[in-house]
Amino acid sequence: MTRLAHLWDQSRCIACGACIAACNAANYHSTDMTNKTWGWLASNIKRVEILKGPRPMLYLIQCQHCDNAPCVTVCPTGASYKDVDGLVKIKAELCIGCKYCMVACPYEARWLHRETGLPAKCMEVECLSRVKAGLDPVCVAVCPADARAFGDVDDPNSEISRRLARSRYVRLLENKGTEPKYFVVVGP
Amino acid sequence: MTAFQEIWDPLLIGPFLWLAGLAGMGAVAYVLLRQAKVDNLKTFSWVLFISIVAALVFVVADLSRPWNLVNALTTSFFTGEFGLFRSWMAVGIVLLFVAALLLFLVALRHTVNIKMLSAVVNAGWFGVLLAAVGLLVTIYSGFLIAAAPGIPFWNTALIPVLWMLSASVCALALAELLIHRDDVTKFTVRAGTALEVAELIAVLALVNLAIYGGSTAARTSGWALVYGPLAPAFWGGVVAVGILTPLAIGLVSWRREIKWLLAVAAILALIGALILRIVVLQAGVFEPVV
Repeated sequence: MTRLAHLWDQSRCIACGACIAACNAANYHSTDMTNKTWGWLASNIKRVEILKGPRPMLYLIQCQHCDNAPCVTVCPTGASYKDVDGLVKIKAELCIGCKYCMVACPYEARWLHRETGLPAKCMEVECLSRVKAGLDPVCVAVCPADARAFGDVDDPNSEISRRLARSRYVRLLENKGTEPKYFVVVGP
Repeated sequence: MTAFQEIWDPLLIGPFLWLAGLAGMGAVAYVLLRQAKVDNLKTFSWVLFISIVAALVFVVADLSRPWNLVNALTTSFFTGEFGLFRSWMAVGIVLLFVAALLLFLVALRHTVNIKMLSAVVNAGWFGVLLAAVGLLVTIYSGFLIAAAPGIPFWNTALIPVLWMLSASVCALALAELLIHRDDVTKFTVRAGTALEVAELIAVLALVNLAIYGGSTAARTSGWALVYGPLAPAFWGGVVAVGILTPLAIGLVSWRREIKWLLAVAAILALIGALILRIVVLQAGVFEPVV
């Protein structure tokens, strides 16, 4: 079975924002349209700064492609679905814009696209076509610090599996039972 | 500054939940009134039908892709992707349409004289079906938000129960306003008082559990309602206007019924139930990811 997943290495990330900008450029054609849901730009990656504690922390949040995705469960029409490759995708033709998926997602990983009315999220059309062609999603491809990886976590020889095997990592809000597939590496 | 959820507009989804509850428990009340041989239910039945239609209007108004509604529903239905056994939203879509159809037949039966229609609406099975659908619509309106894992404050079994209590109060208030018969008034006053007490306990339990036993987000929501920016609407609109005042009037009316005062209590109870849903929706906060 294939289970495609994202890895973000917090210890390597230099917070340059290249992944965020690349997502905006590739998937939303560098539009300056605002993402009102997050108060952010049209990108599927959200930057969250934690300012409490001894030093500021940065997190990049995006769709976790959960194995037990609440957005898929609550969708009335099957517009949100989990594909055989393990990614959570949207069939635009089935979406009525009820936004149930948006309130169901504990990660607040979806934002409302003002023009299409779709609950946008990682991964969008351009990245999906790249993955289909055997390439990495744009956020992984442009990262200058090699802080990102993408691949099949069920394949022990994939880069993501090898990096996970040698790293300490966490998954966000694991207590929600969503079985997220966005691995945050916190150190070697 | 608390970042409340802005995905579902409380001023659209709040009235939707309120109207669905009103129509749902109103349908149950209609069946009970028919059992009690109450005549002249024309206005009552039309108010229920208008409520369910208005509920549909409010929920469609919050959709971001309303133009795709018919196509998406029919396609998902015929391709087997419709989530009837998975999603409360899908369950609700079916229930709301069935309730609208049944309530239209009821309103029509009290308006035009068609023998076959009267026979159907007067049949025992129709009453059972109408009451069951009404109850399910009300329960659904609670589960819809309780089953949204993103907002911890809503993820409690108390919400469907509270919604049912509050919708029952609304149905009694509607009966109080529209049906002028002494035995009905007596029943609505007594049952209304008991339900107001139960609703008060449920409301206080909801915020108490959120503040003292909830997650970070649920605590933030509870705090916002009890002490924070939503406190005036919660204490003033929900508790004082929506529950305590009707309760006090109800208790006074056990000894002596004053018609205009009972009407005021009914209107306040209806307003309180609406504010309750709006502030509970408004208070929704996502859990911090870290």
